[in-house]
Amino acid sequence: MRRRTFLGAVSGGATLGLAGCLTQDGDDDENGNGNGSGNGNGSGSEETDDNTLTVVTYESMIDGENPAGPWLKEAFEDEHPDAEIEWEQLPSQGINQYIDSASQDRDIEPDVYLGLNIDDLVRVDDNLEDGGLFRELDRDQIERSDRVRDGLDMGDPHDRVLPYDTGYISLVYDESEIDEPETFDDLTASEYEDALLAQNAQTSDPGQAFLLWTIDAFGEDGYLDYWEELAENGVRTLEDWTESYYGAYMEAERPMVVSYSTDQVFASAEGNDLTRHQIAFPNDQGYANPEGMAIFEDASNVGLAYDFFDFVLSNEPQAEIAQRNVQFPAVEDEYVDLDDDFDQYAHVPPEAVTVGYDDLRGNLDEWVDDWAQQMAGH
Amino acid sequence: MSRSRPGRIASGAGRIRAWLERNAIRLTALVTAGILAVMLYLPVGVVFVEAVVDEGVPTLGHFAAVLTDPFYFGVLADVFADPLAVGTHLGSLAGWLAAVSISLSLEYPIPGIDVPVPWLAVDTPGVRQGLFGFTAYQAALSTLASVALGLPAAYILANYEFYGRRTLRSLTILPFVLPGIMVAVGFYAMFGRAGTLNGILGVAGLGPFAFIETSPLTIVILAHAFYNAPLVARLTVAAWESVDTRTVETARSLGASERRAFRDIVVPQLAPAVLTGALLTFIFTFMTFPIVLALGGLQLATVEVWIYDRIQRLDYAEAATLAILETILSLGLTYAYLRYESVQSGFSQAPSPPPKEALFPDLRTALSPRRLAICGYGLVALVLFVGPMASLVVGSFTDGTGFTLRNYAFLLERQLEGASFQTLPLPAIRNSLLFGVATLAVAVPMGVVISVLTARTGRSGTIIDTLAMLPLAVSGIVFGIGLLQGLVFGISLPGGWRLQITGAVAIVIAHAVAAYPFVTRNVSPLLSNLDPAMVESARALGASRFRALVDVELPLVANGIVAGAAFAFAISIGEFSSTVILASGSESYTMPVAVERYLGRRSGPAIAMGTLLLLVTAASFVVIDRVGGRYEL
Repeated sequence: MRRRTFLGAVSGGATLGLAGCLTQDGDDDENGNGNGSGNGNGSGSEETDDNTLTVVTYESMIDGENPAGPWLKEAFEDEHPDAEIEWEQLPSQGINQYIDSASQDRDIEPDVYLGLNIDDLVRVDDNLEDGGLFRELDRDQIERSDRVRDGLDMGDPHDRVLPYDTGYISLVYDESEIDEPETFDDLTASEYEDALLAQNAQTSDPGQAFLLWTIDAFGEDGYLDYWEELAENGVRTLEDWTESYYGAYMEAERPMVVSYSTDQVFASAEGNDLTRHQIAFPNDQGYANPEGMAIFEDASNVGLAYDFFDFVLSNEPQAEIAQRNVQFPAVEDEYVDLDDDFDQYAHVPPEAVTVGYDDLRGNLDEWVDDWAQQMAGH
Repeated sequence: MSRSRPGRIASGAGRIRAWLERNAIRLTALVTAGILAVMLYLPVGVVFVEAVVDEGVPTLGHFAAVLTDPFYFGVLADVFADPLAVGTHLGSLAGWLAAVSISLSLEYPIPGIDVPVPWLAVDTPGVRQGLFGFTAYQAALSTLASVALGLPAAYILANYEFYGRRTLRSLTILPFVLPGIMVAVGFYAMFGRAGTLNGILGVAGLGPFAFIETSPLTIVILAHAFYNAPLVARLTVAAWESVDTRTVETARSLGASERRAFRDIVVPQLAPAVLTGALLTFIFTFMTFPIVLALGGLQLATVEVWIYDRIQRLDYAEAATLAILETILSLGLTYAYLRYESVQSGFSQAPSPPPKEALFPDLRTALSPRRLAICGYGLVALVLFVGPMASLVVGSFTDGTGFTLRNYAFLLERQLEGASFQTLPLPAIRNSLLFGVATLAVAVPMGVVISVLTARTGRSGTIIDTLAMLPLAVSGIVFGIGLLQGLVFGISLPGGWRLQITGAVAIVIAHAVAAYPFVTRNVSPLLSNLDPAMVESARALGASRFRALVDVELPLVANGIVAGAAFAFAISIGEFSSTVILASGSESYTMPVAVERYLGRRSGPAIAMGTLLLLVTAASFVVIDRVGGRYEL
């Protein structure tokens, strides 16, 4: 009896629950655009739309401490009094959300994606058609695009992305506990037993960058053997940068961590003793992780997007982005003036390496998975 | 004429009220079922279907691939690959047993202290556990630890009276609301080589000890206990305070010893609550994710880590396959337990909890072995539960130079000057509290109605009860993706219709769906413990089923309802993975979302926000318990 009541309730409740939240596609096309996307003024909104650039970006660009985003918005709007920048928080699924949207033919609202990495483009092209999601850049419309430093080219054959800053993955170590490791092979020596903290390449950007760095150094046939030796020497791969750095490293669990070469900028600002903030570039290298910006294929405001890109590469924004994000500018030194403090504490590796689009394409997922299965070793 | 009108209205209203009363339970059940269909079965179904349908064609290929992969299932993969080769499998089992050796030796297990302990070592040849095997293994250990650490707390809180007891009882579930990242940072700040505990031991000239490095698995298990021992404790306290001690007195007057009366009368009344706590702990720690990676690293990875990875790589089919296997295992265990619970029906008439002794009435009593053991446990609880949280709070006030208020200055500045596209602290606090109260209001009726409909209904009730526990048994990552794919993006229906649900209402309902099982699991054991004759006599005297429930049963299980309500609130406050998806692009963000968004290259602002989360939640728990306490017996 009760069971029948319950089953009846399931079907009845389902119809009740559905009723409130239904829209018909026809409605959506006519009114939905007006109401749904928040301009609500019918046809008049088209004009204001032309001067609004919606930019989606990651959290720390707009929401952390002293972020670059609000500064960029203000300075750009000063320069272009008719224009408005509208920041949008990157959805929790990141680039995947837009890949899913594109493959299911749903509208993508933002015009510009700020914070794109090479592996994001690879993910796009592995799942959508080649050269999808973002439009090929018309470099003629971005005067300053030739200011970008050599070696930061992200290698996209469809030229969809323009770098605006870069970080270098390096090792940070405590010189009172260990000597500077000079090569990757040093890390497998007994001197560095149980010394290294790294991050899981499945869940962490610096973790994946460090893994790719070892693939660059030892080749795709050699990196797993190298990691076997690292594992035997006691490497620990934690979830992400915060856990490994603020959790383990700063509580003195281990004397060395995979981190960024700008570490001392933070450490000195925090008032920390720099003995625990020494930078090591094994094999005299650092792994470059350029961050780029791209324009969505269906962007409503392409012209303004080009203006914005050109602005971002100009002198002052490059300095502000670098110092607020604590990354390096994307342009050659002559086009940007950085504070002396920044120059003193932010270290550039003798040689920057990066695994480019062509090598990542079709390989990245397998490289990471083979590595993760070996490391988990259950 | 004019007189009869109000009378008719009154009688009309009376009829409606009578109708409502007759159908109240059915209506609540209907709404509950509707909510579950839209906010649970639909989103989960959207993802799960990926496992069994490949480009429109039904397939079991994904299951076959996962089940026979030694990485996932270790030695069992061979069995799944060729289940009929019984001889071969028995042969390898015999070979393994023959290689087991047992040895006895003296070990020095406590670092720094020369106390030899005889150590019985069972040396087994390596068996490949596979990802599922290891996940179950660490979950089992975590469950044991949580029960071992939770029961003494329940015993003390239910049997002794001391200053601040009620407040302490309210605060037991505080760890529940902490985001994983805060727990990890708190554990490092407490147990790290430069952490609080080593700082204190250093004053006594001891250490520093490498607590975390020595055995990451132990620390992961303790962190799981940090979350789940309070769960076991809170469930058990609610049951202990509902024990009918008159039955104990009867047994004692019939000549049973105190020990015997406890074993035969009290233990059976507590067992369902303790086992519920153990079951929930096992399920949660089986599906654990951030804690293992943050404290243990990839070497201790669980199934959920691979589900996350497959989702990131857009391999929904394998993610769904792994998630379904997790769910089958969790629901199987739940069903087994609920069968046990449903045959435990008791004949309790009214809670008459044991009288509470004063904890430290005088010095002599204070030095008795039992009181000293309680002090010892208090010390452990202080280190394990208070330590990480206190270290977080201290961390929010310090930087490289010592004491600082800059992290709070950041929060204040953000609140006063933040732009509309930024996350502000006060709206986050307000949203969290609003959603918490709304969740409580939705989840308590949902949970109670499922308890009422499934208690004492035999096997069919157990099956519905098991299915109703689905929110606990589904991978949080998969539920989040399902909400995104199903409700945020919208589902196309025939006729050009589209179903789309986001924003504050969706968040509250998603929280309620995650929370009501806690209400059910708190209430059901107490409900089935009641003497059914009481409801039957109320019904015989003309009370509707609803009246009998509200006037007779609910007051008798009020302890469970208050505990369940506190859990519902806690689940809502702490929920992150579906909130962040449903709040995307709106101003409906909550405190844990704010913590995540403030996390940058400096951790200070996020930790300060985490401290606010702790304070606001602690204050709310005390209020809930005080308000709810009026209804308790």
